Amino acid sequence: MTVSSENIIDKSSKWVVSFFVASAGLWLLAAAFLAYIAAAKLTNPFFLSGLEFCTYGKVKISQANAFVYGWGGNSIFAVSIWIIARLSQCEVRGRFMLLFAGVLWNIGITFGLLGILDGHMNSHEMLEMPTEIWPLLFVSYSIIACLIIVLHRSRKIHETIAPQWFILASLLWFPALFIIAWNGLEINPAKGTVQSVLSMWFGQSLIWLWLTPFALGVAYYVIPAIIGRPIDKYYLAIFGFWCIATLAPWSVVHHLEGGPVPMWIPAIATVMSIAMIFPIAVASTNFHATAFKDIGKVWDSLPLRFIIFGTLSYTFSSYIGVIFSLPAVAKLTQFSIINEFHFNQRVYGFFSMIVFGVVYHMLPKITGKEIKKSAKSFHFWTSAFGVLILLVAYLIGGLTHGVLAQQSSLDWASSVISSIKPYFLITEIAFIILGFSQLVFVINVWKVLAPNPFEESGKNKKFASKASLA
Amino acid sequence: MNNIFKFAFGIFSTLAFAWLAFVVGARNQFGDLQPTSSYLEENGSIPKDAEIFPMAFSGIAQQGAQEYVSLGCATCHTQQVRLVDSGYDVERGWGKRPSVPRDYVLQNEVNIGNTRVGPDLANLGLREYSDEWLHKHLFEPQSLIQESICPPSPFLYDIKDSIGEGLIEVKSDETIRYISPQIRANRVVAYLQALKQDYELPEMSFIEEKSDELDELEIVASTDSNTTQFPTWLTEQISSGREIYNKVGPGGGGCVTCHQPTGLGQPGVFPPLADSDWVLGKKDRIIKVSMYGLMGEIEVNGVKYNGAMVPPGMPMGSLSDQQIADVLTYIRNEWGNSATAVSVEEVAHVRSKIGERGAMQMWTAAELNTVE
Repeated sequence: MTVSSENIIDKSSKWVVSFFVASAGLWLLAAAFLAYIAAAKLTNPFFLSGLEFCTYGKVKISQANAFVYGWGGNSIFAVSIWIIARLSQCEVRGRFMLLFAGVLWNIGITFGLLGILDGHMNSHEMLEMPTEIWPLLFVSYSIIACLIIVLHRSRKIHETIAPQWFILASLLWFPALFIIAWNGLEINPAKGTVQSVLSMWFGQSLIWLWLTPFALGVAYYVIPAIIGRPIDKYYLAIFGFWCIATLAPWSVVHHLEGGPVPMWIPAIATVMSIAMIFPIAVASTNFHATAFKDIGKVWDSLPLRFIIFGTLSYTFSSYIGVIFSLPAVAKLTQFSIINEFHFNQRVYGFFSMIVFGVVYHMLPKITGKEIKKSAKSFHFWTSAFGVLILLVAYLIGGLTHGVLAQQSSLDWASSVISSIKPYFLITEIAFIILGFSQLVFVINVWKVLAPNPFEESGKNKKFASKASLA
Repeated sequence: MNNIFKFAFGIFSTLAFAWLAFVVGARNQFGDLQPTSSYLEENGSIPKDAEIFPMAFSGIAQQGAQEYVSLGCATCHTQQVRLVDSGYDVERGWGKRPSVPRDYVLQNEVNIGNTRVGPDLANLGLREYSDEWLHKHLFEPQSLIQESICPPSPFLYDIKDSIGEGLIEVKSDETIRYISPQIRANRVVAYLQALKQDYELPEMSFIEEKSDELDELEIVASTDSNTTQFPTWLTEQISSGREIYNKVGPGGGGCVTCHQPTGLGQPGVFPPLADSDWVLGKKDRIIKVSMYGLMGEIEVNGVKYNGAMVPPGMPMGSLSDQQIADVLTYIRNEWGNSATAVSVEEVAHVRSKIGERGAMQMWTAAELNTVE
């Protein structure tokens, strides 16, 4: 592929990708804001307590939805379009339809979140947005996914590689999961705790089969591209892919251990969670064996630094996940705030960091403008620092919570919950740091996408004011 | 892998296996459970005139379930009692028996939840809270439980300044407000009161309460408190002491972690407090121990222990004179112990006599026994 044809492809995707990246950034900020409110309400229950649309539950749930569908969805569209176009060596077509569907998707989420805050929440995990919104979201998603698949089908090289498998699989799995859950919960609703199994299965699978494979695909694409050498032990990738495809949908319901469902459900999920060490090992071997051959490059290139942070976090979090699914440990931590640890590890520590990396890698290529290195570096350190504090607080807090809850003589509010209050305060601080760092990210991105037309005159004004002062 | 259709077929079939199990399989196995009676005839039929469980919620409770969902209560509260081997739920008194799938078949909104920042609510209706208590708790949990982090929901109530008919009085921080519940608050309370799994089912019966040994202890304790009527100041001191004893965290003593809720300690490791010659003996020794801890060999009721007790409190050694007086009074009057109360003045006196002493300079038993 020549440089000029690469340029043509990038140019063809410019508007569509820019739109999705820009809206993803705004959702990220919205989620950060909601996350802060939720954390502040835990440290001070009277914070905003008079506002009905701001109950802790509503804010917390809309934060998760803004994060997964707003930030996650939009960035999946943006990056998938760009990577699939690059790998197919084809120009992006149907740009108008993509933009149109993208606008619909964002309108859907906006109304969905307003619906949650207004009290029309559903009780099913990650399907909390009001029922009426989902057909719109589904249709707009299908349009985008179909156009990406058409793009993939018109590729010039017949052979496909790992990034394509992972990204296409994640694009295809979401609608499949959605149809299964929608049928079982809304169209033809199941009775009793069958509902709970299904809603937990959907909510957790969404992270395992939508966000995770996408982020892995991105890592498979960007790491060799920046480091300039092929993925080490690439022949393992196909094994890792099919392991995730087979095991992940089974492994996600182990949180139901001991609950009002037949015992085989959590039991089989626990076994499959333990088997997940194989795909995790494959992915981390592939990424880290490649990256650590040239550690200097990882350090120098900020996009790669973000991505390696993400893949390390993936390895680490997944192994921790395996440990916490062992029945003896699960007994200690089940129902504790360790759940927050797992969620944030996956969506912040892994998914978001990889998306930050690929956006910094992609934007200069499609717009031809560089982002200041110091700005990126600042974003990296604040993000890394914020994520680490957040996760450590949830991990230690979760263990404390779980272990103290075991002591049935300890009073719930005055002993068990009082002793995890300090950790809630730490998470509040961490969310402030993260919110700040995400603001820097969005400013970095928007600066490239929508250059400030007044920049020149702004400078002049500054000089003018200085002159007048002098 | 190169043909998108074959690829899609592959990834959908891996998903389909899980779907077959968790959706189709689960539905077939327990998707059409029906209410039934506590005990069945030998041929498996429901006996005549037997009561059928679970019972459906009343209309207002069903509306309350929707409010519960829309307010997001399920984010912090679960509604499931786990099997005894899997968790502490029955032990904590959150239910008479583990929950089973059949308990939920008549509920439109199944809120079994997955996080417990607040306590489990599966059997809230069994805990004998009055409607008024629940209203106060919804309005402002902190007016009843000071440490609660449950956010108040004042928007479900009309607040009045003066007392009137049907108004509920809420006291907090010396302000008194009178509230009148709106219809939605009534729905939520009706729903909460309806949450109870107080019936047995063929697949699950009530869990026997605790072991015999503990039962005996409780009987001893309860007869004790029945026969001796304490004056108010003493009961207050004891209940404050009980809190300090049991609280692990800032402001508490954390005594319970080693000396156990039973006061029996752990044989060979932590000495007992129940019927202990140290606890019931000279006060100044235990006051000193409560301030600076104790290390090395100690003989309690003729048994030798060798370990270390760090200064109680968090941070270590931070218990105030009042707290020390309370917690010592408590341990001298619990588990069948009966001895005089310890007053703040006595503690202050001992503290002034000790004078300067390093924060972590723990006593030894010999040192305590030779003084004076």
